Amino acid sequence: MTKVIITTNKGKMVAELNEQLAPKSVENFLAYMNAGHYTNTIFHRVIDGFMIQGGGFEPGMKQKPADATVENEAKNGLKNEPYTLAMARTSAPHSASAQFFINIKNNSFLDYPGQDGWGYAVFGKVVEGTEVVDEIRKVKTTRSGMFADVPAEDVIIESIELAA
Amino acid sequence: MSNTLTGARASDASALFISDLHLQAAQPAITAAFHDFLDRHARRAPQLYLLGDLFEYWAGDDDLIDPFNREIITALRRVSDAGTAIYWIAGNRDFLVGADFAAAAGVTLLPEVFVTEIGGQRLVLVHGDAQCTEDINYMQFRAMVRQPAWQQQFVAMPLAQRKAIIAGMRENSRKDQDAKTMEIMDVTPQAIADLFAQTGTNIMIHGHTHRPALHLAGATRRYVLPDWEPDATPPRGGWIAIDGAGVITRHGLDGAVIADSL
Repeated sequence: MTKVIITTNKGKMVAELNEQLAPKSVENFLAYMNAGHYTNTIFHRVIDGFMIQGGGFEPGMKQKPADATVENEAKNGLKNEPYTLAMARTSAPHSASAQFFINIKNNSFLDYPGQDGWGYAVFGKVVEGTEVVDEIRKVKTTRSGMFADVPAEDVIIESIELAA
Repeated sequence: MSNTLTGARASDASALFISDLHLQAAQPAITAAFHDFLDRHARRAPQLYLLGDLFEYWAGDDDLIDPFNREIITALRRVSDAGTAIYWIAGNRDFLVGADFAAAAGVTLLPEVFVTEIGGQRLVLVHGDAQCTEDINYMQFRAMVRQPAWQQQFVAMPLAQRKAIIAGMRENSRKDQDAKTMEIMDVTPQAIADLFAQTGTNIMIHGHTHRPALHLAGATRRYVLPDWEPDATPPRGGWIAIDGAGVITRHGLDGAVIADSL
C-alpha cells in the first residue's frame, strides 16, 4: 500500500492508502497531493468523539478551489473505524473532492449504505502518529463565519508527501 | 465559482432557502449581497423560501412607502414576476408583515409550522425562535405579540410611534443578548425533537440562531441557515438548496458548497 506522511504543526502522521479497495479515491487524493493542494490547508472541522476534517481551507477559513470530484467508493467494505481516512463530501453522493476526514471512533453509520443510501468512502488509515490525531481532536474549537467546530488556533497541514 | 459539484449548482435547485438577512438601510453591503443572490441564484430557482428576519424590523404594512422597503419589495416582485414562487415565514423581527406586503412583493405568506415536500423529501420549515424554549422571557413576549388582538392594537398606533417602540425594543434586545448565555439563545433539543415528532418529518430547515450548521441526530437532519454579514472576516451568509433529486446542500455567499454532510 502507498504510504504518505502528513506533516502538521501538531506533528507527523503516516497514513497507508488502500489503492486495492479504494483505487479512485486514492488516485484522487494523490492527484491533489501532487498538485500541492494540501500544503497550508487546515483541519477546519474538529469534533472530538466523531472525526477531524481538513484539506479544503487555508488559514482564515479561505476555501481552496477543488473542482475535480471522485466517485463514491463507500461500497468497498472498508469501515469508518478509528484513525481511518475517508472522503468528505456534500449531500451529493459523488461530490467528494479534496477534503477528507479522519475518524476518531467507530462511525459505523457512515459506512455504506449510511443514512442516505451511499455512505462515506474509507480509503486509508493512520498507522503511525495516531497520538497526533488524538492531540488534534482535543483542541479548543469555536465558530467562524459559516462554520461551527473550527479550531480556535489553526491546525495546519504543512505538507502531505509520499513516504520514502 | 469554486467547488461547483454535481447536482449542487443553484441553477439546478428546486428550492432555495434564506433567512436572517436583517435588511436595513444602514447595512448596504447586506442589501447588495441580497440583490446579487436574487439576480444570480433565486431567479433561476422554481421556489424561494424566506424563513424569517429578512428585514431587521417591520413596523406594519403602511411602511411599504419607505424608500428602502420599496427597493426590497420591488426586487422580490421582479423575481416573483419572472416565475419564481416566493414563500414567507415570519421571523421575530418581521412578523407584522401582512397581506399588503405579500401582494406588493408577490410573496405567499405561510403558516408556521410549515411541512412541505420538495424533491421527494418531506421537511418541516420554521423560523426557529419558537424552539428557543429556555428563553422564558422571550417566549412570553412572543406569545403576546403573536396574538391578533395585540397586533391590531399595535398597528392602530401611528407609524412613527410604532417605530419608536421598535427602536426601544431593539435596544433592549441588544442588552439582553449580551447578558444571556449562548445556550439559552439557541434552540433546545427537546423542542426540536418535539417538532420532528409532531410533524412526522426527519428533515428541518430553520434560521434565527445565527449558528449555521447541519446537525445529525439519529435519523434526523436539522439544517440551520446563516445570518448575513458579507463584510465580516470570514464573511457570513449564504443559503440552502434542494435539487430535483432531493439532495440538500449548504452554500456560502460565493455559492461554494460546504462539504459537511457527514
